[in-house]
Amino acid sequence: MKNLRKYIYVVAGLLLLSACKPEISTVKPSKGNADFSNYIAVGNSLTAGYADGGLYLAGQENSYPSIIAKQMLAVGGGEFKQPLFSADQANGSGYLKLTGFTATGSPITTPVTTNLAVRGQISVPGFGNVTLYSKYTGGEFNNLGVPGIKLQQIMYAPYGNLNGYFERMLGQPAPNNTETYLDFVTTGRKYTFFSNWLGNNDALGYATSGGAGDVLTDKAVFEQLYTVMINAMTANGQKGVVGTIPDVTAVPYFNTVTVGAILAGVQKANPTVQSIYINALVSGTTTYAPRAATAKDLIVLTFPTSQIGTLVSTPYGTLPYGLTPYTPIDNQYVLDDAEVAMTEDYVAAYNNTIKTVAAQKGLAVFDAFTFLNNVKAQGLLINGVALNSNYISGGIFSLDGIHLTPRGYAIVANEFIKAINAKYGSSIPLADISAYGGVKFP
Amino acid sequence: MRKILLMALALAPVLSYAQGFQVNLEGEKQIGMGHTGVGQAQDGASIFFNPGAVAMLQQNYVQAGISPLFYKSDFNLSGTATQNYNANKIATPFTGYAVWGPKSGTWKLGFGVYTPFGGLTDWGTSWPGKYSLESLDLKAIYFQPTLSIRLTKFLSIGGGFVYNHGSVDLTEAIPLSNSSGQDGQAELKGSGKGYGWNAGIYIKAGKELTIGLVHRSKVNTTISNGDAIFTVPASLQSSFPQPNTFNATIPLPATDAIGFGYNPCKNWTVALDVNLVNWSVYKDLAFDYKTNSPQLQDTDQPRNYKNAVAIRGGAQYKYKDNWAFRFGGGYASTAVNDGYVTPEAPDANRVYGTLGAGYTMSKHLDIDVSFEYEHLMQRTQTNTYSNLSGTFKTNVYIPGISLAYHW
Repeated sequence: MKNLRKYIYVVAGLLLLSACKPEISTVKPSKGNADFSNYIAVGNSLTAGYADGGLYLAGQENSYPSIIAKQMLAVGGGEFKQPLFSADQANGSGYLKLTGFTATGSPITTPVTTNLAVRGQISVPGFGNVTLYSKYTGGEFNNLGVPGIKLQQIMYAPYGNLNGYFERMLGQPAPNNTETYLDFVTTGRKYTFFSNWLGNNDALGYATSGGAGDVLTDKAVFEQLYTVMINAMTANGQKGVVGTIPDVTAVPYFNTVTVGAILAGVQKANPTVQSIYINALVSGTTTYAPRAATAKDLIVLTFPTSQIGTLVSTPYGTLPYGLTPYTPIDNQYVLDDAEVAMTEDYVAAYNNTIKTVAAQKGLAVFDAFTFLNNVKAQGLLINGVALNSNYISGGIFSLDGIHLTPRGYAIVANEFIKAINAKYGSSIPLADISAYGGVKFP
Repeated sequence: MRKILLMALALAPVLSYAQGFQVNLEGEKQIGMGHTGVGQAQDGASIFFNPGAVAMLQQNYVQAGISPLFYKSDFNLSGTATQNYNANKIATPFTGYAVWGPKSGTWKLGFGVYTPFGGLTDWGTSWPGKYSLESLDLKAIYFQPTLSIRLTKFLSIGGGFVYNHGSVDLTEAIPLSNSSGQDGQAELKGSGKGYGWNAGIYIKAGKELTIGLVHRSKVNTTISNGDAIFTVPASLQSSFPQPNTFNATIPLPATDAIGFGYNPCKNWTVALDVNLVNWSVYKDLAFDYKTNSPQLQDTDQPRNYKNAVAIRGGAQYKYKDNWAFRFGGGYASTAVNDGYVTPEAPDANRVYGTLGAGYTMSKHLDIDVSFEYEHLMQRTQTNTYSNLSGTFKTNVYIPGISLAYHW
């Protein structure tokens, strides 16, 4: 008995020791002079949590607004609901999955086509087919990000019938929707704080189509709509944060398949080939003419490189694709030098508008343009993880080369939080980047 | 042509016998007196503290002790409100000493086994610094045959050869997720050896005062052909060749120490030690993998440690011949420069206090217990190599017990 009691004392002593943990007094979370109790997020695919070429549940769960909202909980933030896909339709629109590498090290991506949330398709006269997704029926929500939306479209009443992602948020089935995105965001919605990262697609739509399938939103239109939008969003004195538009050339979608890499591949088979040819915008005009490509011309990630050198019949005979001025690479695959310059000029103007309007309204600004250009130039080293803007290996960008990985979104969330804290004197704690993953490898 | 080049990962295992790993637990009597022992001849632990004092021991000794060590670290990632604690794991530094010599002879032989360096830490697989370190189990066991000779009544010298058996088992996460989102894992596991020596002089400077001087040499410990196990997604495994081995050399620093023992009256002993630990030998940490790949390169990280000083003091009160009560404390400066603090032993300046008690049974058997509390100052750091930025704070609790038979 006596021994047993001794034993108990020893055990009790050890337990006492394990309880004596050191404590670090961390920064006291404070909301500063903002109110985060009801936060809404406005934006496009980046805001929705789009990744790997699709919108799906896991991506939504790691959207940067949801990460910000999680951190806001420490400073009086409220519940942040998202229009999530249901568990049995978790793959949403479908997305790309990395399934391996070729012998030469090229990644192989495969679309995920099971457990989709696709409800059907309608044909809109004069527009084309619109894929429709299962309606979100969970009531009010805070993440209002709509993949694909441009600022230019926020006051366009039929838009709710042309964008399946927007349609699933609205009450009516297409083609019966008439509510504009601006009304959807502002009418009757109670919120105390917002983030707005709209505008990327006004430039990106043009750029990703190689300057062929879309147009840049007019600078004056952008300024007018952005002003209307921010005026409406701050009508009741709400505070918020806005993001600038990244330099399109900062994303791997335009930096992975390079002219040099294609040429090197061709020269391996045929060392006499000197150049590859593209159909390029003649600077200062709207006409296109073939010329030899240079390193300044950007080839899109989705360009089927196997097409290079395949024989094409032309008025001048049967010639190899991409290797002669008569068979240039199709315009849709190339954002040429002049198109890059034009896009950058527009993005600079858009960003000028964003910063000016934000300054007028006293909003915080996350300068995504500068941030992502710095990442491209220098990379990032966080918690022992080296990150950069490279496709797949960089860890920030997802398999579509434009949208981000969960880790990339967490980094963006932290940048938004830093901007908010700096502007409003708050101390929203940062998210732990290590807790969010990068690209998944098979 | 859409070829991706996985960049060389910042896979640079952290591994150091930082001061956090100089465990200073080489005898319960000495722990009780604030780790002092260079200037006294208390018992067989003099083999470690000062081989010169061994010949002055009145008796022969066989003794063993153990000091379970609770190392409690807290980490706060900069800018966040979360605190991460290392897991409750108990390291077990131990000692064993034997001293024998002819009664009233001028020499004694000794053999010591002790663990002057070691570390056990486990931060888990989900803390922010997981890409630097998840867990580390590091041991250095010194074996030291010793000869000590009394030259005169008031002067003795002694020295010993040191053989170190070192072992390491380190894990860290690799930032490459598999299809279910789990990180890759690296484990480096191996053992090695090193050699050194330990020599001292012991002086009875008067009736009340004893002085000791000791040099414990550097012990370069080389881990050769340790297992380097990398678990990464199958499609990337060829970038991390398996099976693989690694070599690494870690210098365990030399210590110069001077110690004083003072007996102001019959029942009291007061002791003071000053140690200079030559950590500046630890300039870098290199890992050499047997099979490299573009992603798995040998690494060489700067460490740039600086020399550290420890000042220790303690006292013992003898009660009725067979009881002893002890207390002590000290201060140790950190060896780790700003920018080089790593999670395996988040080092900082430290203070500690100790208590101890001893009871002698039937004149031959000492039972000694000790307790130490050590506090590492809060230190906020951004590591230059990993950019891991945050605040570390550590408390260490060390109870200990030993038995010593003497005749």
